[in-house]
Amino acid sequence: MENKNNSKILIIDDEEVVLDSCTQILKGSSYKLATAANGTEGLNLAKEFQPDLVFVDLKMPGISGFDVLDKIHEIDPTIVTVVITGFATVGSAVDAMKKGAYDFLPKPFTPDEFRLITRRGIERRKLVLETIALRREKEMLREQFASIVSHELKAPLGAVQQNLFVLEYELASMLNNEQKEKLERIKIRIDELIKLINSWLRVISVDIDKLKAGFAPISITAPLSGALESMEPYATRKNIEIVSDIREPLSPILGDSLSLSEVFVNIIGNAIKYSPDGTKITISVEVKENDLLVSIRDSGVGISEEDIPHIFEGFYRAKSGQTMTGQGIGLAVSRQIVDAHSGSITVESELGKGTTFVVSLPLSKA
Amino acid sequence: MTKKLLMIDDDPDFVAGIKAILDNAGFEVEVAYNPKEGLHALQTKQYDLLLLDIMMGRGAEGIMIARKLRKDVKLREMPVLIITGMREQIAFLFPGEPIHPRFVEVDELVEKPVEPKMLIEKVNSLILTAETKKAGKK
Repeated sequence: MENKNNSKILIIDDEEVVLDSCTQILKGSSYKLATAANGTEGLNLAKEFQPDLVFVDLKMPGISGFDVLDKIHEIDPTIVTVVITGFATVGSAVDAMKKGAYDFLPKPFTPDEFRLITRRGIERRKLVLETIALRREKEMLREQFASIVSHELKAPLGAVQQNLFVLEYELASMLNNEQKEKLERIKIRIDELIKLINSWLRVISVDIDKLKAGFAPISITAPLSGALESMEPYATRKNIEIVSDIREPLSPILGDSLSLSEVFVNIIGNAIKYSPDGTKITISVEVKENDLLVSIRDSGVGISEEDIPHIFEGFYRAKSGQTMTGQGIGLAVSRQIVDAHSGSITVESELGKGTTFVVSLPLSKA
Repeated sequence: MTKKLLMIDDDPDFVAGIKAILDNAGFEVEVAYNPKEGLHALQTKQYDLLLLDIMMGRGAEGIMIARKLRKDVKLREMPVLIITGMREQIAFLFPGEPIHPRFVEVDELVEKPVEPKMLIEKVNSLILTAETKKAGKK
């Protein structure tokens, strides 16, 4: 980042008296100054001198001031431009600002006016550069964070877990039940940690634009049955019956099957997690006007009214006395994905009675 | 006959956790701790199966090995079990289900860490599939 001492200013004006007086006014300041008497000369200088701020007279013989502005922005869109214009032509100054000029300097101007506009222009340039640098940094952080997280956190955990597996395997015949249970507990906690990191990675790397680029007309049955299949073992473990009422043929929706499948995995997973053993989860699909509604209803612990607005925020878990452990991030990812599909997720719940999630997705118009 | 396996992975602790299981199951396991060493071993010795890590060194250097294998007429016949810490979208969604990257004729991908029972099953079935395929060609 250039500091103020090195800020470079280029003035393009065919009137020698303007160039002279500007030079005079800035004399003794820390700015570096260059001047050009016409557009062509000015543009050549702009490439070579790499100014932070350029003053351009709008009325010049040869290339017009407007064209000079355009070309300067082509050379480097971060260069701040200010147009110099006669008092009678404020209208053209407005036109110039519409084309990207930052400010205008009306002729004739006092030294104070010129200094003020110069200072503001230089400040503007600094802000522009800073914003770009910050944006780039943010993007890099996002990208690097994903790989750092996966490498620096996941790898050691994976190695720990792998060796625990070996211990358990090799000691199987020697451990008593209490010892086995302790080992099991360690394994479960590490497994949860690994899953948590995976969820973080998903949040960081869900790239909505990329997701949208891959949209195609699909039937909801594909992601839904994929999710059902992978959640089946968890339901069976708790003796929970999943009843799904999906009648073919269903109108197609425009979307990405894999990510939608993740949405259903998250919602069904939650339903299983918060349902007492031996209860039922009901899944139904219906078309309502231009939307396809997928409802997932459980008879679980329910979500209190005060918690409902927060469950999609990520890193949030209901306080309603639940002893469950979890990451509270699945629903945040799910909402991101459904948002990308221009759909919505709504929740109805009653404490102690159960919860119904409804995923609404617009039908494909084709 | 004892089956000979090569494992290429740069995490010694993780390698120890895999090797112990396979040793115990009666396999002979050699280890290369970087892709270069691994490639050299592949070119000079013969193995019944390769266990390959993807994220090594400065990035996905394991992919380089997989690409080299694909191009090599002889090595292409060797089954490969890719064991990766990299969060494959599919692996994340459907843990435990077979995923075939199709780098070589017989391959499969599993995510770290790997349950001992599953590891042994996958290794055995990949070797068997590769042998059956080879026998079918003759």
